Amino acid sequence: MQLTRNMSKAMKATRRRENLSAYLFLTPALLFFAGFVIFPMGMCLVTSFFNYSMTDFSFIAFDNYVEMFSDPTFGKSLVNTIVIVVVSVPTVCLFSLWVASVIYKMNSFKTSFFRCVFYLPVVTGSVAVTVVWKWIFNNYYGLLNALCKTLGIITKNVNWLGDPAYALWCIIMILFTTSIGQPIVLYVSALGNVDHSLVEAAQVDGATNRQVFWKIKWPQIMPTTLYILIITTINSFQCFALIQLLTNGGPNYATSTIMYYIYYNAFKLNRYGYGSAMGVILAVIIALFSLAQFRLAKNDR
Amino acid sequence: MQKTVPVKKMRVSKPGSDDHSVQKITVYRVICVILLIVMALLFMFPLYWIITGSFKTKQAVISRTPELFPSQFVTTNYESLFQKPAFTWLWNTVLMCAGSMILTCLCAAMAGYPLAKKKFTGRKIVFSVFICAMALPKQVILIPLLKEMAFLKMHDTLWAVILPTVGWPFGVFLMKQFSENIPDEMLEAAKIDGAGEIKTFTHIVFPMIKPGVGALAIFTFITAWNDYFLQLIMLNDTRVLTISLGIAKLQSELSTDYGLIMAGAALGSVPIIIIFLIFQKFFTRGITMGAVKG
Amino acid sequence: MKKLLAILMAVMMMMSISSVMAEDNVEITLWTYPIGNWVDPETVDGIIANFNAVYPNIKVTVNYLDYTSGDDQVTGAIEARTTPDIIMEGPERLVTNWGAAGKMLPVNDLWTEEALADISAGSEAVVAACKGADGNYYEYPLCMTTHTMVIDRAAFEAAGALQYVDVETRTWTTEGFVNACRALTDAGYMTGVVYCGGQGGDQGTRALVNNLYSGRFTNAEHTAYTADSEENIQGLTLLQDMVNEGILMADPSIVAGDEIALFCNGTITMGFCWNASAAVSNKASMADGIDPLPMAFPSDDGVPELCGGIWGFGIFDNGDAARAEAAKNFIRFVCDDAQQGPASVYATGFFPVRASFGDVYAGTDKEANGEFMVFMPFLGDYYNVTGGWAVQRTEWWNLLQRVFGGGNVTEEVATYVANANASIK
Repeated sequence: MQLTRNMSKAMKATRRRENLSAYLFLTPALLFFAGFVIFPMGMCLVTSFFNYSMTDFSFIAFDNYVEMFSDPTFGKSLVNTIVIVVVSVPTVCLFSLWVASVIYKMNSFKTSFFRCVFYLPVVTGSVAVTVVWKWIFNNYYGLLNALCKTLGIITKNVNWLGDPAYALWCIIMILFTTSIGQPIVLYVSALGNVDHSLVEAAQVDGATNRQVFWKIKWPQIMPTTLYILIITTINSFQCFALIQLLTNGGPNYATSTIMYYIYYNAFKLNRYGYGSAMGVILAVIIALFSLAQFRLAKNDR
Repeated sequence: MQKTVPVKKMRVSKPGSDDHSVQKITVYRVICVILLIVMALLFMFPLYWIITGSFKTKQAVISRTPELFPSQFVTTNYESLFQKPAFTWLWNTVLMCAGSMILTCLCAAMAGYPLAKKKFTGRKIVFSVFICAMALPKQVILIPLLKEMAFLKMHDTLWAVILPTVGWPFGVFLMKQFSENIPDEMLEAAKIDGAGEIKTFTHIVFPMIKPGVGALAIFTFITAWNDYFLQLIMLNDTRVLTISLGIAKLQSELSTDYGLIMAGAALGSVPIIIIFLIFQKFFTRGITMGAVKG
Repeated sequence: MKKLLAILMAVMMMMSISSVMAEDNVEITLWTYPIGNWVDPETVDGIIANFNAVYPNIKVTVNYLDYTSGDDQVTGAIEARTTPDIIMEGPERLVTNWGAAGKMLPVNDLWTEEALADISAGSEAVVAACKGADGNYYEYPLCMTTHTMVIDRAAFEAAGALQYVDVETRTWTTEGFVNACRALTDAGYMTGVVYCGGQGGDQGTRALVNNLYSGRFTNAEHTAYTADSEENIQGLTLLQDMVNEGILMADPSIVAGDEIALFCNGTITMGFCWNASAAVSNKASMADGIDPLPMAFPSDDGVPELCGGIWGFGIFDNGDAARAEAAKNFIRFVCDDAQQGPASVYATGFFPVRASFGDVYAGTDKEANGEFMVFMPFLGDYYNVTGGWAVQRTEWWNLLQRVFGGGNVTEEVATYVANANASIK
């Protein structure tokens, strides 16, 4: 009896020590996190109940939320955001996996070269990249029109960024080029680290390359895939600078995302309260999305 | 190194080396490589266009018939760029990115270890909150953040951009994933040897997660680099501008000097390419992500 | 680890150094939007040096804004309470937006009797524009201009369209405009592009729509937007018809700056966003063979009403009397000084609001700017002081995008007017 009590006492002490050291290690991160994410998020939640503009700050309870759900532009922006995420996340993942699977077996110079090349759009910076893309998509003498005409795909110039039917796809395409750099890098290293004894064993057993890939390599790079899914999701939700610099959400809100619409309300119309309310909703959506992704990947293992 | 795999390894293969020496040249592979080269050319094109554009005349840079190579090679764009404090902007950018990078890596590495390896009260809750906030775009909380920075007298300093970047919980998540890979036996052994927590962290944990820290470093650097809007709202003074803000300000309402913008962009991409080349050796050393655990 | 810490310390130290500043003298900040050469550090530093020769104890720091993101920056600064002391822009921002929101200090004492008389002699509209609804002045103006359009004379001549243009008075009729567009299209030229991409340059599209049938943008009292008037509906419908006919283009993917680039490289033969400053700053970009001819907007009666541009200075209310006083000294020096005043105007490329300055371009490099003097008699009502201007502007772009996206003009202007008028407080 005495012994077990001593044991449990000792365990409690250990536990307390563990707690203390764990939280000490966590302190810097928690401090920054609480100070510059949680606290402003709380402020955002509070201001979402106010009619908050440059001249006004009055409590209006849920009016901002009520207005939001009857605002057609908000609906449109939500749909656009979802389209961007749903299209670009799998495309980026699959494409980067393909590139990585082709280049990881090359010699180290070639691998480095391709890795670097696919990283270039990431490092060039949004402002400059949009200048180039604006020219490529140009309605009058743009590269894409010239190319498509030569190939006989189109007969008349298409106003890629000015046509609601294409504009969002153009944004997704540019987003794609600026998002695949990181996943490729990660997949190359993950594929390079796949356990060889298993691959060889499978090959001895007569497995085809495809079988080796999906049965042996794919499960092993799963954690990397999760990581890539998450950063690509972040990237897609944050797609904002491209839109602001390229289309201003137009034509007629065809490329407006929630992110852009928040900006538009807060900075163009100075409706901070309304912007905050949308921010809260976006935060909830993103949190659910991340959590779901995480659980999914966990079960899939 | 992966936990789920039996420890015995018949042969240690160097990652990145051509370990498929018996690889057959198949039609599929040829098609893949050709496709890859085409894609690579497409991806190189914007930077190529920017660099050549920065050497074109004002007339040529907006010409209707594009010049693949400047017919008249001029350096006037760079001359007018350097009349502006372009190097200060570049330095600010590097400072801002390096500051964000170092602080993030430090905080995240420290936080990832206990989340992965210690069983403490509230672990599940702390980690879930981190996960939920991970993908939140900073712009959502920009106005409160702005007020907070003004209150802290940090608005219009580089801190206003660095601190929110460091606060972002993504790094913590990543470091936690990497820390999962550390064999418990090693930590136990360190404890038995009488190593304190700090020593365990610096001598065992940190070296083990180093490749992960490299990945996080580059990711943070680039995130900070590309976070144009945060910079725009937080920084005003010409002396604290970053290069992308400086470039954006070169556009005026009725005449846009594309040559100048391209010169700015070309200058701005140099340091980040260097950073990439330095840190990419971390990747070849091999990153293995830890298994996914709640 | 140690190395990492060392780097961290170094970074921190470097940053703290840059934030330390001496506070002995008065230090004021000036933010300018890109107005002529007021975007060019060499010019602005020169002006500040002249100022410091007279006021050595006032240190002026400049920050340059652009029209794409400048407003966002000012909004941010207002929320963070880090606004500059002096800001240089037009009454639509200084008076209507920030002045009405109570963020600016009245600058009534700058408007001395002498100044009032001199500026009134130039244009009464300028005086009215700088005055807020509460009767206080929130802007002290430096220069003004008329916003015009521009055509490529060479192309017009080649297409036989020059006959529709009065080259002397720089005016043309709505009918002439339509005919010219047809002639140009027949000759294989692209005419003009109604840019609907947002941000700056809205004055060009407004003037185009309003002038076609002599409509008004707001009512005479500047209390309501009147895009739904019969004349404006007629104007928008005509433009919509012309786009459908293929003799004019509308493009939601480009902004005013892009449109000008299209004009400069010879893609299109008329631009709707032009003024004296644009003529100077785009000179070097103009492709060979293009002969830009500034024109008034086409009007059914041949008498255009051009949008005015007014630029000057305002002072943000930062609660510091010493800085406000220093800011006023700066504005007085820049705008009123017998030597600096005309030089400040010269730097903008526009025209002085003070009648007594006369022609600041005679005998200088920018003599060609005198060409724009011909438009001054057509200066129309300065309606930019109507409330809710910022909201109206974004709604205006949306209106154009909807109309040229095939919307019904009457319905779309109704939406625009409802939204824009709702924002007038």
